Amino acid sequence: MQSQLLLQLIINGLIIGTLYGVVGMCFVLIYKASQVVNFAQGEFLLIGAWVCWWLLTAWNIPFFWGFLIAICFMMVFGIAVQMIVLRPLIGEPIISVIMVTIGLSIFFQALMKWMFGTFAQPFPPIFPVAKVDVLGLQVQTAYLMSTGVSLAIMAGFAWFFKYSRLGLAMRATAFSQQVAQSLGISVRQVFALSWGISAAVSAVAGVVVGIVNGVSSALSYFGIKVFPAVILGGLDSVFGAVVGGLIMGLLENLAQYFDSQFLKWGNLYEIVPFYALIIILMIKPYGLFGTRDIERV
Amino acid sequence: MATDTMRPCGDYRSSYRSDQTIFATRLTMLFCVGAIVLLCFAPFFFSRYVLSLMIQIGYLGIAALGLNILVGFSGQISIGHAVFFGFGGFASAYLADKGVPVPIAIVLAGLWTTVVGLIFGLPAARVKGLYLAIATLAAQFILQDFFVRAEWFTGGTHGAIAAPFTLFGLDLSGDDKYFYVVLFFVVVMYLGAANLMRSRDGRALIAVRDHYLSAEMMGVNLTKYRTMAFGISSFYAGIGGALYAHYVGFMSVEGLDILFSIQFLGMIIIGGLGSIMGTLMGTIFMVLLPEATGWLASALSGSAIDKALHLKDGITYMREMLIGATIILFLIFEPDGLAHRWRQIKAYWKLFPFSY
Amino acid sequence: MKRITLSLVSALALTAAAPALAQTINIGHLADYSGGTSDVGQPYGQGVADTIAWINANGGVNGKKINSDFNEYGYQVPRALAAFKKWVGTDKVVAIQGWGTADTEALVGMVTKEEIPYFSASYSASLTDPKGKVNAKSERAAPFNFFYGPSYSDAARAMVQWAADDWKKKGKPGKPKWVHMGANHPYPNSPKEAAAEYAKELGFEVLDPITFALTPGDYTPQCLTLKQSGANYAYLGNTAGSNISVLKACKTAGVDVQFLGNVWGMDENAMKAAGDAANGVVFPVRTAVTWNGTAPGLAAAKEISKISDPSGTAYRPVHYLAAICTALYMKEAMEWADKNGGVSGVKIRDGMYQKKDWVPKGMEGVCNPSTWTAADHRPTTRVDLYRAVVSGATDAPVADLVKSGAIKLDKVATIDLPRKTELQGW
Repeated sequence: MQSQLLLQLIINGLIIGTLYGVVGMCFVLIYKASQVVNFAQGEFLLIGAWVCWWLLTAWNIPFFWGFLIAICFMMVFGIAVQMIVLRPLIGEPIISVIMVTIGLSIFFQALMKWMFGTFAQPFPPIFPVAKVDVLGLQVQTAYLMSTGVSLAIMAGFAWFFKYSRLGLAMRATAFSQQVAQSLGISVRQVFALSWGISAAVSAVAGVVVGIVNGVSSALSYFGIKVFPAVILGGLDSVFGAVVGGLIMGLLENLAQYFDSQFLKWGNLYEIVPFYALIIILMIKPYGLFGTRDIERV
Repeated sequence: MATDTMRPCGDYRSSYRSDQTIFATRLTMLFCVGAIVLLCFAPFFFSRYVLSLMIQIGYLGIAALGLNILVGFSGQISIGHAVFFGFGGFASAYLADKGVPVPIAIVLAGLWTTVVGLIFGLPAARVKGLYLAIATLAAQFILQDFFVRAEWFTGGTHGAIAAPFTLFGLDLSGDDKYFYVVLFFVVVMYLGAANLMRSRDGRALIAVRDHYLSAEMMGVNLTKYRTMAFGISSFYAGIGGALYAHYVGFMSVEGLDILFSIQFLGMIIIGGLGSIMGTLMGTIFMVLLPEATGWLASALSGSAIDKALHLKDGITYMREMLIGATIILFLIFEPDGLAHRWRQIKAYWKLFPFSY
Repeated sequence: MKRITLSLVSALALTAAAPALAQTINIGHLADYSGGTSDVGQPYGQGVADTIAWINANGGVNGKKINSDFNEYGYQVPRALAAFKKWVGTDKVVAIQGWGTADTEALVGMVTKEEIPYFSASYSASLTDPKGKVNAKSERAAPFNFFYGPSYSDAARAMVQWAADDWKKKGKPGKPKWVHMGANHPYPNSPKEAAAEYAKELGFEVLDPITFALTPGDYTPQCLTLKQSGANYAYLGNTAGSNISVLKACKTAGVDVQFLGNVWGMDENAMKAAGDAANGVVFPVRTAVTWNGTAPGLAAAKEISKISDPSGTAYRPVHYLAAICTALYMKEAMEWADKNGGVSGVKIRDGMYQKKDWVPKGMEGVCNPSTWTAADHRPTTRVDLYRAVVSGATDAPVADLVKSGAIKLDKVATIDLPRKTELQGW
């Protein structure tokens, strides 16, 4: 009985971990490209979820098309946010930019509550089968979809950054903005594009969580939950974000197991990621895969 | 940065000591003293509402100054300031409950918070930049969890009752009397910070922030100063929290969340990093912003604009959006904060009609 | 800059402090429309605001109008504090319609000192002991705190009672297992101890509590733990938002448990959001009927609803009705105070003690008979328990779902707890 529970928790941890990994990737994308810690990442999830919900319920568009339209909208939205709000701040102290993203999160939270109300709204039933049995654990189909989509996105990112010109340009900009500029890469376009992609992919995660839990303004807490995962993996490593997300998902579930079976403290599910974070930072201050800041005098 | 004030011609200094005064010119000092004296008369003129806002600015300003010492002066980011604030409040309530006289309890609470801050500051030596920020985020959640669990210390879910402030048997807990207590602490703590910044330790902190490699080469012990910065900032946060606890009379873990930590960050960023006066200005901004938007909202509700646009409930949301938008717009136009803008205004005034 | 701000602020404050006319009664109203509890705060706040407007439109308090200063504080305690100071210093309010645990707890000391009755939507049992220390477990004196409805602890005890009866009725052998699920925070923890004690008394085996946060998320691990523990009755201590996540996750995981909620943990909107995962959840309702029930008092409630919904088609959740009752009790206490020495905080408090089994005029059949005394601020120890019944898809507006019967609230029991002083205050 115990080992069955443990197995189920591990599977659940991996599935949720891919979701964390996706959101973490978006976060790292923005950080890598423009050195900005985006506190409004959770709001991107939220806006994507609401837009998709609205398309499905108010316009009765089938899920596939609604989803695609929502993603395209979020891409444009992300680019717009970067161009309007963040472009004037290029070159300013980074902490001011972080504060601006905090201001953005306050603004969008209130806007979403105004436009869509304060009550949680369920998504209309999308999948013919609500849950699927995976190795003894009943998993919501939405999560399976998200795992599939997440893996596809990760593969897509990997290909994008390694083999495509645009991806190479983004990596070059992340490495050194001035050198990239001198080679003819438009740094402003790269910034805008990175925000756009990040917003679009966040929308995917937002829609998944919305399908499972209903869309409500508390969705944006996912943005904060992802911080430990991103730091675990290293702030400037996309692969690290994925690994960090998986580790976080597993840790949470394993903590719940050990807590309920042996320790009985009650709160380990929420706290363990943070304890683990501190321990890992003591051993590897830049996260598991982050590039060590080589200090040049 | 804080000492970059404009001095008039002919004002020269001939000794190091005279160059290191807290106030750049005699006039600035007189203005400051005059302001404090005027504030002493405040309880006779202002309503309790205004007094309570000023008290709020006081204790939040002290805590924000601590954060500014950490972030602005020594260059380390902390997103966990709210729990140190809360720890100070709980510690003071706990000590007062055990019979320690409240004024001493407040100071002891500050010292106790310093110890806790030093513990969390030790990893800071190894971890830099945004990693440190997230580590403090972890501290925020861990301590928040601790507060709810430690019933002996915080009263757990019931919260802790903080005794009213009494000095030599005089009850100073009303708004008009507590104002003086807070004013006293604000003056002492702010002067203390200004003094710190002109001392050797303060210069060392700034060196660590600006170029830590060179600082290390000059013999500045990085670990010592980074940890010390955490300790000092926790002291200020603890004092601020203790003052808050004895003002409200009740301390609870509700409200010590990450949003509160972010508000502290907002105060110092908008006020100006690395500026002591800027901290106070930033705190005033952040405290008055919701109040000002509240006035706007209640002025707007029921008026012609409201009816024309069918706003009604929407006014509440517009108010929140206005708060976010104000922060964003302010930072777009003045990313260096209110202190910088104030210096620009002073410079413009002094140099008119020349521009430099 | 500091001085300009100060003088501006003081000028505004002075102009705002217009002399209160003898013909108006000032009250303060705290609500959360944008913060963490806004999903339940918005209907409740709307209910209070509409009721005040309706009172003013229908004769006021013996002819005097109530001037309510609405303050949306986003569940941030400093804003609630500032609002309170303004109400006490400038506006001279005589009563406050408050909201949640955070502000209520923070202001208990101050309202006692200022002698202003505070009508909260926090039903914490620690607010029910006016004199303090009525028994060993009651921590604090709260002579000026009132709320309408059973306290969280009494509601939990009632559900323990119901669970015990349900277990016996089903004829199951052995000891039933009770578990508390909720965040580790003051509001969800409020009734934990009371429910556990009472459950042990009634022969339950009380399992270790399971924690889940107040925000929606993935709670499959908690559900799996719940399943493995073999619990029979699980009390959900959080608000609707996160309860929905738990219910859905547990339904997916195939957990067979009877879920019990608190007054903020389930309502018609939550039933719509959770869909058939909410089917079967038992929770207390503060009023005798829900919006689509039948009672003479509902006519007045529908009048009140028209204040913010002129078309009269909106479906109001259970919180709206509870808010109406809370505001009307305050109004009738003010009426008594007006006739007996003037509308002041102390007189309003005394006004709350005047009637036994009190139902506000016009709300017969809606507000449950309540009694407040100088020694006991528990208005009632009778708890109405309802079951959420959800059949079919829930992706239509709530009003339509209720009309079509896809969402129903069935009354399952009315539990009368003994009004013992040993159970007061905790």
